[in-house]
Amino acid sequence: MISRERRPTSRRWALLGAALILLGWQLLALRLGPLLMATPWQTVQAMAGLPFEADFRLHAGVSLLRIALGVGLGCALGFGLGLLAGLDERLRGLLEPLRWLLMATPPVVVVVLAMLWFGLGSAMVIFISVLMLAPGMYVNTVKGMLMVDRDLLEMTRVYRFSPWQRLRHLYVPALAAPLGAALLIATCAGVRLVVMAEVLGAESGAGFALANARSTFDSAGLYAWTLLILLLVAGLEFALLQPLQRRMGRWQVAHA
Amino acid sequence: MLDWRGVNLQLGGRTVLCELNLQLRPGERVGLLGGSGAGKSCLLRLATGTLTAQHGSLSNGFRHAVLAFQEPRLLPWCRVAENLEIALRAAGREASVARCLAREWLARVGLGEFANAWPQQLSGGMAQRVALARALSVAPDLLLLDEPFSALDPALRGTLIELCRVWLKQSGAALLCVSHHPDELLPLVERFVLLQAGRLLAFDPAASAVHGLSCALPCG
Repeated sequence: MISRERRPTSRRWALLGAALILLGWQLLALRLGPLLMATPWQTVQAMAGLPFEADFRLHAGVSLLRIALGVGLGCALGFGLGLLAGLDERLRGLLEPLRWLLMATPPVVVVVLAMLWFGLGSAMVIFISVLMLAPGMYVNTVKGMLMVDRDLLEMTRVYRFSPWQRLRHLYVPALAAPLGAALLIATCAGVRLVVMAEVLGAESGAGFALANARSTFDSAGLYAWTLLILLLVAGLEFALLQPLQRRMGRWQVAHA
Repeated sequence: MLDWRGVNLQLGGRTVLCELNLQLRPGERVGLLGGSGAGKSCLLRLATGTLTAQHGSLSNGFRHAVLAFQEPRLLPWCRVAENLEIALRAAGREASVARCLAREWLARVGLGEFANAWPQQLSGGMAQRVALARALSVAPDLLLLDEPFSALDPALRGTLIELCRVWLKQSGAALLCVSHHPDELLPLVERFVLLQAGRLLAFDPAASAVHGLSCALPCG
């Protein structure tokens, strides 16, 4: 008999997977040499030294602010427009071409255009993030809105829920699953977008530090910043997004 | 009062209500009978304002009409007491008052100890009791019941009908109640109307006539 029980991802195997990546990294670094690739240990050492560098706080702080603003504004814009478009099919039709345009345009094209419009700096980076992240949030919100239980919606009308109560007690909980997934994707994509935009056209931030390390052949520094960015994504996912998803889905756990 | 004249309602190209007349005075209690698909639930939705008639004069002087649906329709992501609290907050009660009233009404329907349960953890009958408690707790002046006792066992049905009867007497609210079993409505209503071919027909409230009608009504 085939067991249909859903098993959690095995931590033991996940650790083995991580160990294999580290081993592959170590072997490749030894083969390519320190100029092209730092070893894991050299990377960790360089990362431990990063906080003592003169511009570390500036670069890290600027990047964190850009990520927070880019992801926050992008998600808020996508969610807000998604809510309105979910309620009004005319607005949904009106926004559809723009949604398609933004989702089909390669990010690098947006980066080039944003550099022309805004020059180098935070405005350009945040603009790109908002423009690239909002459509994903928008699509998930609209899909979720269209799937909201019509019976519950009617109940909220009979009991005269205010728009705010309807949003808080009906739409947001009903959208928790698609929104949780969209928020996770937006956060990870937001970090990547900000760093990419900084590499291509900013005068500060983690991406700028990465580009600097590359141009000075500081392989350990390059890998240290990369590892730091990975740790940031992991921190956001495990400390913020997963607990949020667990809280939003606790009623389903109670039912299981 | 509620005063409808010549009301026509069409849904999906089908005429549900045709030249319908209905008057309901404050405090009046009416049982609404009719076969499956006769349009009883649509008539209740018209009274709540969630459906709009195409033609006719619809005057509704009631302050707050609340409908207890055929299904409980509880918010699955809110605990049982929260479902009542939210409805009470929507009806304009303060948060602390809503919390007290929610617990009080749950206790009245015998579910005081399930205040912190999730709706999915309740049986169908228990969920229906919560839905009834929610409808009564917001103190409407027009209570609309759409077969609210159908999922309950006979003993519990009697208890809740008595609870409704006492509440209606104390509050002075009007009632329009749909049921396939007119005899169970006898303690609650003063008169019956039958919805047939989109029109309302008056019925003598005498028990014998009602029992005769019960046999004639298709169940479902």
